[in-house]
Amino acid sequence: MRLYLELAKKSFQNHIVYRVDYVASLINAIVLIFVNIAIWRAINEEEGALAGLQLNILITYIVISFLMQTVYQMDEYYIEGKVRSGLISTDLLKPIYFRLYVFSYHMGSMLFKLVMQFIPAMLLSIFLFRLLPPFSTQMLLYFILSAMLGYLVLYHINFIVWISSFWFYWTFSLVTIKDAAVMILSGALIPIWFMPTWLIDFIEMTPFNAIFYTPILIYLGMMPEDEIFMSILKQVIWILVLFSIGHILWKRAAKKLVVQGG
Amino acid sequence: MRNSGFFEMMNLLYQYSKLSLKVTLEFKLDRSMITLAIFCREMIAVVVMLLILARFLHIRGWDMNQLFFLYSFLFLSYSLFVFIFAGVRDFDQLVHSGEFDRYLTRPRGLLFQVIASKIDLPATLGHGVVGLLLFMNTAFSVGIIWNASNILFYISVIVGGAVIQASIFMLTAVMSFWAIRIENVRNLIFFNARRIAGYPISFYPSLIQKMLIFIVPFSFVNYFPTQYFIRREDMELFWDGFMYMTPVVGVLMFVVVSLFWRIGVRSYSSSGNAMY
Repeated sequence: MRLYLELAKKSFQNHIVYRVDYVASLINAIVLIFVNIAIWRAINEEEGALAGLQLNILITYIVISFLMQTVYQMDEYYIEGKVRSGLISTDLLKPIYFRLYVFSYHMGSMLFKLVMQFIPAMLLSIFLFRLLPPFSTQMLLYFILSAMLGYLVLYHINFIVWISSFWFYWTFSLVTIKDAAVMILSGALIPIWFMPTWLIDFIEMTPFNAIFYTPILIYLGMMPEDEIFMSILKQVIWILVLFSIGHILWKRAAKKLVVQGG
Repeated sequence: MRNSGFFEMMNLLYQYSKLSLKVTLEFKLDRSMITLAIFCREMIAVVVMLLILARFLHIRGWDMNQLFFLYSFLFLSYSLFVFIFAGVRDFDQLVHSGEFDRYLTRPRGLLFQVIASKIDLPATLGHGVVGLLLFMNTAFSVGIIWNASNILFYISVIVGGAVIQASIFMLTAVMSFWAIRIENVRNLIFFNARRIAGYPISFYPSLIQKMLIFIVPFSFVNYFPTQYFIRREDMELFWDGFMYMTPVVGVLMFVVVSLFWRIGVRSYSSSGNAMY
């Protein structure tokens, strides 16, 4: 365990080095939030357009979503880079679990983004966009739990895509198509409640709404308490399912790599 | 270029494009997948807009067709930009890898070589298809009479838009002659400006409007041309002349940037680490 903590720490420290990238992505997040809010404000000007929904709830939704996106951003080409450069063979020789190794790397970078991006961007947002506080302390705790589970859902979807680099070598197209699906179906860019019913029904059957939508609804206090448990359970089930798929694929990939000789 | 005629240049251009095409066809599946991926990535914003408008029907008097017509300019001009100027887009890599030194030794114009040597077909198609889809679905339902002068102006706007975007990229390319790396900052500014320009700039606070008119002039790529074709009330906020300025802005930017380019090439000293 100490080893993996150390790995996460290294990854955290690595991120500190790239100051320009750091400032750039912070500005990027603020600009994106700003633009989206301007658009929703414009929509709101049409009479009764939001159907009684308060604009500041919607703004809070958008802000929280973009803040979460900054934290949830992962190094999509980490495994691909290792496979293509052949470094993966030395990684496999080390007495470590490769998947835990990759996970700790991402944990480190996630913590970096949480501390260095999420928190400053959130403080700025409270000031700039009048972000609403969580519905209640209890909901805040549920939100934190659900957001962590949401991260894991996304991580395991991503892992499945990353592992495909063992077969395809270049995963740009798969990663990009996956991103498009996640961005639209997870409610990251537009609240799912605004979508047509058939699409909502479809999304209900996918893991996507467990990533952003569930935590944000909890934050806003828009989910009844008995539903919260169901939603969190759903998140856990999706994590288990996706983890198992990733596990099977990993076993095959590792075998495939032996055949190929690295 | 001094000793070569127009036809020789065209022939060279043809040979270059044949090479690029061959490279693309070498990896048919991979490149088609990349094209599909770019198409999907660019469709995100379109789908989001579609979902919003399916629900709210219009935003500040702009309905779905008008907004998508506005959006189509961004894709079509970007598509043209990467088709012609992909070399300019990736210019900083050329300098950092030292590959640019080879261009210096060849007896042809540098800018010509940079532009001719690269065609990014997946990006051209990925953006182009989105643009065409939007254009085909809106161009005949927003009340534009497609007479000769309108068609001519439309073409000049698309070309002007492509040149404006190319100039933004060339400006940062010139920076790399002095070993100043600002790709990240450029991408941040360029792609955010492009994202902002996806909606009418009148939706935004005036600071952002001014930025998109005078600093990163994306408003001339899509907003003002759209106003020329389908006049909306919010044009009152701006000077009428802007509607006709796209080709002018394109030419002006290109002239200014070309001057910088000349100065840059003169003071260029190799990075000295040719990787190939």
